[in-house]
Amino acid sequence: MTKAQRVFFYVSIALFGILLISLFQLQVIQGEHYQRVAESNFVRIRRLTATRGEIYDQKYRPIVQNIPAHNLYLTASTIQDLPALTRFLELHFEFSPQELDNAILRHRFRSYEEILLVDNVAFEKMLSVSEYLSHFPELSFRVDSTRKYHYSNHFTGYVGRINEREYEQHRDEDYSINSYIGKTGLERYYEVLLRGKDGREIVQVDARGRSLGLFKEGGYQDPLHGLSLVLTIDNDLQDFAMRVFPDGIKGAIVVSDVRTGGILAYVSKPEYDPNLFMRRISPEIWEGLNNPNKPMLDRVIHATYPPGSVFKPITVGLGLQKDIVQRDTRLSSCTGGFQVGNRWFRCWDHDGHGRTNAVEALMVSCDVYYYDLSLSLPLDEFKAYTLESHLAVKTGIDLPNERNGFFPDTQWYRQTFGQNISIQGHKVNLSIGQGEILSSPIQLNAYYAAIANDGVWIQPHLLKQTVGRGILTRDEVDKVERRRLPFSNEDLRTIQDGLYAVCNAPKGTARSVQVPGATSFGKTGSAENSMGSMTHAWFCGYIVTDKPEIAVTVFMENAGGGGSMAAPVARQIFDYYMGNIEDIRRPAPVPAQFRPEQPLPQEDTPEEISEAEESMEEIIPEEDEQEL
Amino acid sequence: MISRKKFDFALLALMGALITLGCVAIYTASTTVISEHVSTQNFWWKQIVFAGFAFAVIALILKLPMPIFDILILPAFLANILLLILVLFTPPVNGAHRWFSVGGINIQPSESAKLLTILMVARYISKENLSDYRRMAYGFGILIVPVLLIMIEPDFGTTLVFWVALLAMFIAADIPLFYILLIISPIISVVASLHWLGLLLWMAILVFLLMRAHLSWVAITVSAIVNIFIAMIMPVFWMSLKSYQQNRIMTFLDPTRDPLGAGYQIIQSKIAIGSGALSGKGWLQGTQKNMNFLPEHHTDFIFSVVGEEFGFLGSFLLLVLFFAFFARLIRDVGKLKVPERKVATSGIMAYLMFQTFINIGMNIGLVPATGIPLPFISYGGSNLLVNTVSVAVVLKFLNERGFMK
Repeated sequence: MTKAQRVFFYVSIALFGILLISLFQLQVIQGEHYQRVAESNFVRIRRLTATRGEIYDQKYRPIVQNIPAHNLYLTASTIQDLPALTRFLELHFEFSPQELDNAILRHRFRSYEEILLVDNVAFEKMLSVSEYLSHFPELSFRVDSTRKYHYSNHFTGYVGRINEREYEQHRDEDYSINSYIGKTGLERYYEVLLRGKDGREIVQVDARGRSLGLFKEGGYQDPLHGLSLVLTIDNDLQDFAMRVFPDGIKGAIVVSDVRTGGILAYVSKPEYDPNLFMRRISPEIWEGLNNPNKPMLDRVIHATYPPGSVFKPITVGLGLQKDIVQRDTRLSSCTGGFQVGNRWFRCWDHDGHGRTNAVEALMVSCDVYYYDLSLSLPLDEFKAYTLESHLAVKTGIDLPNERNGFFPDTQWYRQTFGQNISIQGHKVNLSIGQGEILSSPIQLNAYYAAIANDGVWIQPHLLKQTVGRGILTRDEVDKVERRRLPFSNEDLRTIQDGLYAVCNAPKGTARSVQVPGATSFGKTGSAENSMGSMTHAWFCGYIVTDKPEIAVTVFMENAGGGGSMAAPVARQIFDYYMGNIEDIRRPAPVPAQFRPEQPLPQEDTPEEISEAEESMEEIIPEEDEQEL
Repeated sequence: MISRKKFDFALLALMGALITLGCVAIYTASTTVISEHVSTQNFWWKQIVFAGFAFAVIALILKLPMPIFDILILPAFLANILLLILVLFTPPVNGAHRWFSVGGINIQPSESAKLLTILMVARYISKENLSDYRRMAYGFGILIVPVLLIMIEPDFGTTLVFWVALLAMFIAADIPLFYILLIISPIISVVASLHWLGLLLWMAILVFLLMRAHLSWVAITVSAIVNIFIAMIMPVFWMSLKSYQQNRIMTFLDPTRDPLGAGYQIIQSKIAIGSGALSGKGWLQGTQKNMNFLPEHHTDFIFSVVGEEFGFLGSFLLLVLFFAFFARLIRDVGKLKVPERKVATSGIMAYLMFQTFINIGMNIGLVPATGIPLPFISYGGSNLLVNTVSVAVVLKFLNERGFMK
């Protein structure tokens, strides 16, 4: 052997000697000890679930809160008698054998982890089954928390167990198989804020999964609790709007603060109770949620409708902007209709309105004025102006899955009806908000709020600020968009005068909407549609005291005329608001319990950690230190 | 093609046996038994496919004419350096830029850099008529390029492999031992201080070797005292650190490590291996494995499955197989007369042995957790390929050696 070979040989003997001696010590000398450890004691990482943020109204009154819930967990690797377990779960929890098989198989490579089998078990149920639990060491109850939704609504949404698709999608975001995740509404949109960050601890547990204390060398990470949301919603106004909406009618109400763009009330009817989703949903309940009235449908942002006459300010706005008409320009005389080519377009009023100008046409909602005006408006410019006014396009409200709506253009008509289509007739329909145009109540509300707000459009939103671990305003979370709509001051005044006349002139279509202490503005709409013989009833309007106050949009599916059906509801809301303006407007300071305990971002200072360590050591039994 | 007299069939057979055992271990490691549910992930046959591919590459390398092989080393090394630079611009995974992700396959250029750097260093330090200092300077000069690039990634654990290989090559290149010893002794002392047994052995080896180098007693005593001092001060220094400070240092050494995970994994691995006791729990019967306490026990922690299911006897057998493999490699170092090839073989032997030791040591809690897999046994295509190609290079050297023997 050469010198080098000798060195290599000695070194390898030394290295393998060390390994062999260590292995002998570990497996032969300490083998029995480790066998006992393996049988009875497990060291595992336990997730410390962060508390999900709660949701409050603008006065810090609760909308969504956490309440304790009893959850049933399964540790698959300790299953002793699978057939018995299957029968037990089927009998007491309606848990089918297939579901159980799936749960076990899906988690087979993490079988020491607890699987959340049944959440939110009723207390009586838990008491009645707990005597059997000693036969099933693989099952255990734990107290976690669930969500309580204080009232039925469409904006909070609800949380649910993470499904496989979501788990894959958020694979790097530290979700566990037992995690809850926001499924719809604010719970989904602000999932990142609400959720916080789970902590970890290494614990030594016995065969039943009971903790024997913290493991010494292991680490410990505090959970970071989620931020609570304070909304712009006012619970009183929300409640009033819910009650004032007539029973048996489908539709929506949006009330927004003109100056901030914050939504004060957000109603979609019929409503559903998000608490239903906090338990296993029975087939009957599921059927109820999927009936033809579609209570799950959020009619404020997820449904789009022909706006009808509430669209008319757009048409006249573009006419004024393009100088096709002036404030006092009178167009063709209304004799109950208007001839375009070989088609006769009716006005809603068979008696006719005579020749009207911009203000009068809004006041009496004369269709002929808009028919005539539309002949001079190029379709694609019409579309661009509509989108610029943020109609038929998403507002970007802080809720998921908002719908755009629709406004056709030349290309669309050619593709749909052929190259030789005459667009003129369609344009005439569009000018009064009929035909192919579709828009959502939230879009119209934001548009009317912008008219009230001197032409400044503010992105509608529900979040006012966060509280809890940190206070962030809505603008700090995500900047609220503000844009000036394409109005000159003069044109805006003309439209405002028209909307004033609707509510205040003797011939106005919404004369009923008069509010003591404030000036009301608005526009009614009765939109023909393919969903039924009755028209959709619309009212969009706002009130002004010494400054603009709130914008209200009332929409009722197939309920009849806007003036007779929707406008009275809006008036009641205006009345309620003016009657309680002191309460609603009073600024609410952040209550002490919502102030952050320590400023964001949380810094781990060495002092804090060493303190935590000292306190941790106290609860560790000494023998544990030697054993492992 | 293959010369019966020169070719080392035993080495090839030993490697084949290790890879076969690896596939068996991967099969049981990726099988979970719950009640009557038995499910196996498909890693084991993937590994068989990788092994088949690796053997095809071995055949290819053996067929490649030697001059072409020699010419290819330099451009391959340069291309590898380029890849090490480019990998720094990939999006970070767990805070480190280590992998190219191509069509679902992760390619880690630092793996191939190990072999190519060894071949390059071997070539340049084996040139004739070089002073010892020059040879050491060349060795450092070439090695430092990939090492620095890998440290930027950052991947401190992998760079250790390079230093160990360099050391072995210096030894094989007949650079006087005491130079090497004096350079590296403090580092080894620090490492050895992790375990009293290791320290004791190391001190004995150090003194013995320094004596063999015919150094004066004064020099031997001084260097031994310095080393013992360093080794003694290390644990004291380490223990005086708060655990979050220790964690920070460990995280500096390997940023991908999960501060909660590392300690936890070693605990679980020790429990699994220890509970295997003398004869093990039997095929597929590992309780700790079936509980899946260790997330990736078909890769870095595969030894824990072997230890649990086959006990001390099984792990002993595996160690014997590894030792036989390395003993064979050391024997082959003596057979090679061309200095470059002898040095390269030493480097390859050292890098494989170091990885084996570190991995098993990590599994039984002897050394801190680093992401180094067990050669030939752990699941992983690119790692298996680089390891088998390294052995193929040795086989090629042996096969094509001159007619002296």
